Amino acid sequence: MAVAKGAPARGALLSIKIPRGRGSSLALYIAKRILWLVPVLLFVITITFFMAHLAPGSPWDKAGGRQLSAPVVANLNLKYGLDAPLWVQYVKYLGNVAHLDFGLSYQYQNQTVSSILLESWPITATNGALAFLLIVPVGIGLGVIAALRQNTWVDFAVGGFSTFGASVPNLIIGILLIIVFSVGAYRVTGGNVFLPTGGFGLDDHLIMPVITLAVLPIAFIARLTRSSTLDVLRQDYIRTAWAKGLRERLVVMKHVLKNSLIPVVTALGPTFAFLVTGSVIVESVFAIPGIGRTFVTAVQSRDYPLILATTILFALVVALANLVVDLLYVVIDPRVRLS
Amino acid sequence: MEQSTGKLKWSRLATLMAGVALVVAACGTASTTNNNGNNMASSDKQILRINSGTEPNSLDPGQQSYDYEGLIGRNVFEPLLKPKKDLSDVEGAAASSYDVSSDGITYTFHIRQNAKWSDGVPLKAKDFVYGYQRILDPRLAAGYTDPFFDGTIAGAANYASIDAKNDAASTTFLQGLGLSAPDDHTFVVKLQQPAGYFKWVASLWVAAPIRKDIVEKYGSDKWATVPSQVIGNGMFKISEQVPKDHITLVPNDQYWGDKPHLTKIIDYFIDDANQAFSKYQTGELDIQTVPLANADLVQNDPKLKNELHKLPSLNTFWLTPNLHKAPFDNVKFREAVSHAIDRQSLATDVSKGQYAPVTTFIPKGMNGYQPGLSDVQKYDPAAAKAALQASGVSPAVANGVHYLARNTTANKQLAEYITGQIKTNLGLNWTIDVIDSKTVTSRIRKANFDIYGPDGWGADYPDPQDWYDIFTTGGCHGTNWGCPNNPDFDKLVQQADQSTKDSDRVTKYNDAGKLLTNQFYVTFLYQRTEWQLIKPYVQGYQATPLDEGIYLPGDFFTNTIFIANH
Repeated sequence: MAVAKGAPARGALLSIKIPRGRGSSLALYIAKRILWLVPVLLFVITITFFMAHLAPGSPWDKAGGRQLSAPVVANLNLKYGLDAPLWVQYVKYLGNVAHLDFGLSYQYQNQTVSSILLESWPITATNGALAFLLIVPVGIGLGVIAALRQNTWVDFAVGGFSTFGASVPNLIIGILLIIVFSVGAYRVTGGNVFLPTGGFGLDDHLIMPVITLAVLPIAFIARLTRSSTLDVLRQDYIRTAWAKGLRERLVVMKHVLKNSLIPVVTALGPTFAFLVTGSVIVESVFAIPGIGRTFVTAVQSRDYPLILATTILFALVVALANLVVDLLYVVIDPRVRLS
Repeated sequence: MEQSTGKLKWSRLATLMAGVALVVAACGTASTTNNNGNNMASSDKQILRINSGTEPNSLDPGQQSYDYEGLIGRNVFEPLLKPKKDLSDVEGAAASSYDVSSDGITYTFHIRQNAKWSDGVPLKAKDFVYGYQRILDPRLAAGYTDPFFDGTIAGAANYASIDAKNDAASTTFLQGLGLSAPDDHTFVVKLQQPAGYFKWVASLWVAAPIRKDIVEKYGSDKWATVPSQVIGNGMFKISEQVPKDHITLVPNDQYWGDKPHLTKIIDYFIDDANQAFSKYQTGELDIQTVPLANADLVQNDPKLKNELHKLPSLNTFWLTPNLHKAPFDNVKFREAVSHAIDRQSLATDVSKGQYAPVTTFIPKGMNGYQPGLSDVQKYDPAAAKAALQASGVSPAVANGVHYLARNTTANKQLAEYITGQIKTNLGLNWTIDVIDSKTVTSRIRKANFDIYGPDGWGADYPDPQDWYDIFTTGGCHGTNWGCPNNPDFDKLVQQADQSTKDSDRVTKYNDAGKLLTNQFYVTFLYQRTEWQLIKPYVQGYQATPLDEGIYLPGDFFTNTIFIANH
């Protein structure tokens, strides 16, 4: 698979002209990439399946107290098909997955893994997508302003914020927000005005988790945008643009931004994937019933079907985000050709 | 004592803070002598918000085996009996009374004539037959099956030998159990042998009636996955379940007894201690456990310290040595370790008062508590050194011990404290292995450890049988990890379990307790007190040390809890 990725200079090497129309080549390219998902997912499933089963402890071991007796464990293994040899279980699992049957959760009795994921993923995705919508304008905006006003107080302020955002863990940010805007505000206003400490709802519940999720990526995107904008500003064609007497807005929007965004788009792909697959810490700090927490409890309780299905979902999201990034290159950078 | 807990603190809060509003409220409190007091808030405010931390794995009471599940099971389904407030005995629940045959083998329960299911269908004895059969059905693999029913109910001892894949064999097994319903209101249980503790077993949330028609209508696997399908006979029913977030209980208007004052119980599944603590502070939760990390903060906060309740609980925690491996196969070495640990300082300095020092097995507040034995394992550095000397264990072996712990902050603190004590008082350097919980369980099950802690037990019911069975040979690698495998101990416990005379049972259990302590099979450490923050307006709760009290104090008598004006 020849994919144009990374710096624009590499785009030139990969540009193989396809004589057919651009539309059909694009469709072919997307189809190919999606076909490639099959071996990728097979690889992910295989690794995860055996790693999960190799981890010590069984789904029926308890975290203390009375353990299940041997006959009960034997019956449970029978009920969930864990009595068969591992490779038989593996082959069976692959067959089920091919029919989009991800099995029953061990932890949440008689609930299908698909239904658990369908409940928790939209919650994570909502928080993540909102954070992404905040990150893109704020991160890029801060970065561009800092570059244009290089070595002024604006630049230093953005630099300071980026350092803060990149170095303070979101666990701390989350707890601080709760202390200030929930518990603190509650005490100061006597319970009249405060943000809900946690949980999920399409209202003010979203504010603190979204901010917490966004801080680190904003810091990162701002830095990246600043440095790539500075690079572009030094280019000859920008000097030409200025020399032509173009107005600042036009120079920045048309000539600088479009070119400086290529590395930023590269970074936004994984950022998006990371956000919509959930941050365990943020979901835990704010008690959000999302997929990140689901995944961690699944691992802790050796809920193999849930671990596997979550991993498959994560792999799909990451692969698709990368595909979108590659397609975006074509739009942004005319030097990049798909082949 | 239970009823006064809430009110006492409430009036104290009022005296401490001389606000006019509070004084008015306190007057209201003072006039409340029963649950129907005139300071009860209007019905739209009768909402109690609690946090049990984890979503129930199942809504089928027979499939529930954790305390956060039992809390739901116990309120949505009503077993035959329940504990009395003072835990001295059981009292009628779904059954108005019961008789035991003189040989202690046959239990006859008389089911209330007016008991109904939440859909209005009368409760019948056959519903208990079916409920009990489901617990013992090998195909359903219920977690809490042993040792309550396995070996207790006649015929149940064959549980392990039934092939769960063979439907016919399972059905024959279930039909052969000592369970019958001679008429609609009589449920008869025949036991394998006398078991004086069976009345407590019949009060467990697992021992609930189940509606066969409901299970058959929706399917054995599916019926308990949708709240509206969970037809129960308890005080409450489930109105909604928001996955990973909360479950809501509302009163069951068909319940035969006193209807609850509360119109809603919202039980959240918040596992993050900080999040839950913050929610309590912003008034989004009414009851919340105090995490060890916040113990000082709460005790020093002028407002919170008045909302803090230290509720007794029936539990004991200890260190479990591997009795089949050097150096802990040596009784003198075990004695040295036990004498080397200062439990008092553990209680005051490490636990900030959440633990009480303990050197015996059965916890304070329960039948079978043996304060007379407390000197055997007590802290005594001189005796510790002497015992180490006498043990003859080589320094290399004594220093090579690995202390195994599950990875929580509290466990790590304890591990550091214990190894510190061993270093100070015995001069030995132990290594701490803090490992993921599942891995620890798998290692102790395979006897792949030196010493493990904290290990412990919380009472399922206040009978010593629930405790002593842990250390029998049958419990080796299932309920106990050190495996004493002592025939004398086994014999005493078996005799006590099967005796029909209560006094005889107590004597036998006490003798078993002596063996357990004298042989240092485990090193007893502490009994935990449940520290709860409870909003002053939550009143009328009747806490018992047996509650799933860390989430909802008074959950055996939930119908008396109410929200006061505030």
